[in-house]
Amino acid sequence: MAEQKNQRPVPKANRFVDTETFWQGTKAGELWLQYCPDTKQFQHYPRPLSIYTGKRNLEWRQVAGTGVIYACTIVRVPGPGMEGRLPLSVVSVELDEGVRILGNVMNMEPDKVAIGQRVELAWDAIDAETAYPAFNVVEA
Amino acid sequence: MSKDSIVIAGYAETAVEFKSGRSAYDFAGEAFADLLAATGIEKAVVDGLSVNVPLSECANAFYAVYMCEALGLSPSWLNYGGIGGCSATGGVARAAAAIRDGQAEVAVVLSADAPSTNWSANYGAWRGEFQDPVGVLGPPAAFGLLMSRYEHQYGLNYEALAKIAITQREGALLNDNAFAKLKKPLRVEDYMNSRMIADPLRLLDCVMFCDGGNAFLVTTEAKAKEFGIGKMVRPTAYAEVTNFKGADPVADITETGFSELAPKVFAKSGLGPDDIGSFHPYDDFTIAVMMQLEDFGFCEKGRGSDYVMATDLSCTGELPLNTGGGQLSAGQPGLASGGLNLAEAVRQLFGEAGGRQVANRQNALVTGIGVIPYARNWGTSAAMILEA
Repeated sequence: MAEQKNQRPVPKANRFVDTETFWQGTKAGELWLQYCPDTKQFQHYPRPLSIYTGKRNLEWRQVAGTGVIYACTIVRVPGPGMEGRLPLSVVSVELDEGVRILGNVMNMEPDKVAIGQRVELAWDAIDAETAYPAFNVVEA
Repeated sequence: MSKDSIVIAGYAETAVEFKSGRSAYDFAGEAFADLLAATGIEKAVVDGLSVNVPLSECANAFYAVYMCEALGLSPSWLNYGGIGGCSATGGVARAAAAIRDGQAEVAVVLSADAPSTNWSANYGAWRGEFQDPVGVLGPPAAFGLLMSRYEHQYGLNYEALAKIAITQREGALLNDNAFAKLKKPLRVEDYMNSRMIADPLRLLDCVMFCDGGNAFLVTTEAKAKEFGIGKMVRPTAYAEVTNFKGADPVADITETGFSELAPKVFAKSGLGPDDIGSFHPYDDFTIAVMMQLEDFGFCEKGRGSDYVMATDLSCTGELPLNTGGGQLSAGQPGLASGGLNLAEAVRQLFGEAGGRQVANRQNALVTGIGVIPYARNWGTSAAMILEA
């Protein structure tokens, strides 16, 4: 069988808004999210201002990456960057910090993944240098 | 109907084609020429134009101005509608406002797109950086997530989704403009056996991107009569919301913008769900149809499956649904999409639906959905009530 060529594009930081801290965090195995200190709420994906106040007073904070699966699907159709990844477990995780993030489940067969399962942070290698935040289901 | 009532005084719609080899300009030209022919008006009287942002031409920031050149129009009011599947109903509402404000008298709402021939869209910002890496490359995965949450909260009978697909397919069989390859009857087992795309979303829950166009004449009742036009409908209520609950990071994604719009359009028109003659909800996916049946109060929230199974949704039934097949079975003409649902509603009220004509021509409810956002349901919701 021919070797699957990894064609996953590696996103560039700061192309649209300031996302450098997120991407630097991934290199250290840490999940950093945008935080609005005025309302003490996180927001994800990163925005050009606080969606809560409309002010550009924003910080970055490291989060634990623990939470609960809010929605889940199994992507079965090919597409750019999907080579060798199908079927792929895709989940929307509600983090304990009160914000949702899309990710993949790394440690479980896709058809065993379910809403309500607790998850913890894991990492999915996009290429040799870059990993993207993903999740492992925490067995009860 | 007062003398300065705003009316839709004509419509035109091209056939839906796949990989037509044609452009949005060409489909727009066909729809526009057909609209002039259908209404008998001269091109020179058109002084307002609203066009949608097409996936096939959006790399050109000046598409709307180019369209005026292509059609030989010199409008005093021009709108470039970027709310996806809400651009047609939204275009009618914006044209009505412009006419009331004196910026135009005779407007054409023109939608065309050819994404199955040419794709020029680039979903920037968060999509490429935070969604593509996890494999949510487009609407199907997002709707798989949405369906999973709906099923978790309310339960979901897949046979009800099959019935929506099958009922609409019956309409497409009678629709000359429906994409030819979709014109074969569906059975429940065809739906159940269609391949999984993003569990629990199946192939037959999804629209197919095609090419096509449509056009609507929006003016005052007095002006339409001056042109000798006899058939017209009034858009008596319109409401729209974008990024519903957009500053709530943990909003219930089964709650949609339509829950906010439904009370508004019913209050404005004085109608209720029981009064609606036919329902033409935006149908990119079957679950969106079911959620709208709930949001507009045809049944309780979460009871969509039971309602669909118990209700005749055919053109002769209790609530005729997307009687021309909708986008699910006629094909989605790119981002001219919302105009397909609107054209069928106007066609029904004009009494021109032939073998699929509904009995109640008093009113119709049409909706639009635009753009699929990050980890939510949809970006823009729009609803319009048309009355005879």
